[in-house]
Amino acid sequence: MHLVSHAIRNLNMKTLLFLVIVIFSGFSAGIIHGLVNLVVVEPFLDKAIGIENQNMFGTGETRETPDFWQKFDAYRMWQKEGEVLAGGILGLASGALFGLVFAYVRGSLPSNNDVKKALLLCSIMLLVIFFIPFLKYPANPPAVGDTNTISFRQSIYSEFIALSGLGALGFSVLYKKLGSSKKLIAPLGYTIFITIAFLLMPDNPDKITISMDLVNQFRIASLITVTISWIANALILGALWQRFQPHITRQQIQ
Amino acid sequence: MSESFQIVKSDSKVSALAAAILLVLFGLGVFAVGYDQGQLFSLVEGSKAFDANYLHELAHDMRHASGFPCH
Repeated sequence: MHLVSHAIRNLNMKTLLFLVIVIFSGFSAGIIHGLVNLVVVEPFLDKAIGIENQNMFGTGETRETPDFWQKFDAYRMWQKEGEVLAGGILGLASGALFGLVFAYVRGSLPSNNDVKKALLLCSIMLLVIFFIPFLKYPANPPAVGDTNTISFRQSIYSEFIALSGLGALGFSVLYKKLGSSKKLIAPLGYTIFITIAFLLMPDNPDKITISMDLVNQFRIASLITVTISWIANALILGALWQRFQPHITRQQIQ
Repeated sequence: MSESFQIVKSDSKVSALAAAILLVLFGLGVFAVGYDQGQLFSLVEGSKAFDANYLHELAHDMRHASGFPCH
């Protein structure tokens, strides 16, 4: 029997299969995100970019000529194609984080079904690293945002996501250590922590000068499509995990 | 007569290599789509990459749509 226990100590998750499943599910979800954006988000982006163009014509920065529109249309077509590619890259990136966290916490998630486990983790991660940061720093369409503040806005946005994500990680460790009667302390602690961070972090310094209707419609569209991409990632990863079981290792011992 | 055992083990342990690959993909991908202002291409093209801002322009619509600060 000592031979068997020795073999067990040396077993590991099937690394290549695990990586393929994680990368494929993330990239696929990202492509879906890009394609859905073309239908759901692009109309608002086009409207906002139209406002930017009118501002440029008004200030004389650019002249409205047939040549301008020809180049502009080709440029926008290239950006829309780029949106699908960028969706794939972003999906691969967020899917890499999702897959890694899933591998570590899968055993602690309730249910015997990997799709249900993945959907549960997806809802927690989406809340912590997208929805809550979105409440503080919501998405804005073109025509909102000063080029001179971009570095500041990027830093406060990433700091708030990091605070929320690391805070949730810390309180989830605490959750595991607490006895069943005290487990409520962990989500309560995270709520207090992120509320304080929410109040202390600086606001977006840029003023919104375009129609709030357009901004709000854009934000709702953004929320919908990001949610779709995360759910797609969870469904694909969960289904592939359920089918191929990369955490199961078999080894023949003579 | 030799006996044969099959060890079947369920393990959530991720190899360090797999974790490192996924963390690099996460960091690079999020930076390329959400944050790059010419930095990545400047490694090859030099300072002119900051003027062209190619990745920013290519990922522009996804950057806005997924909530990253832009412009």
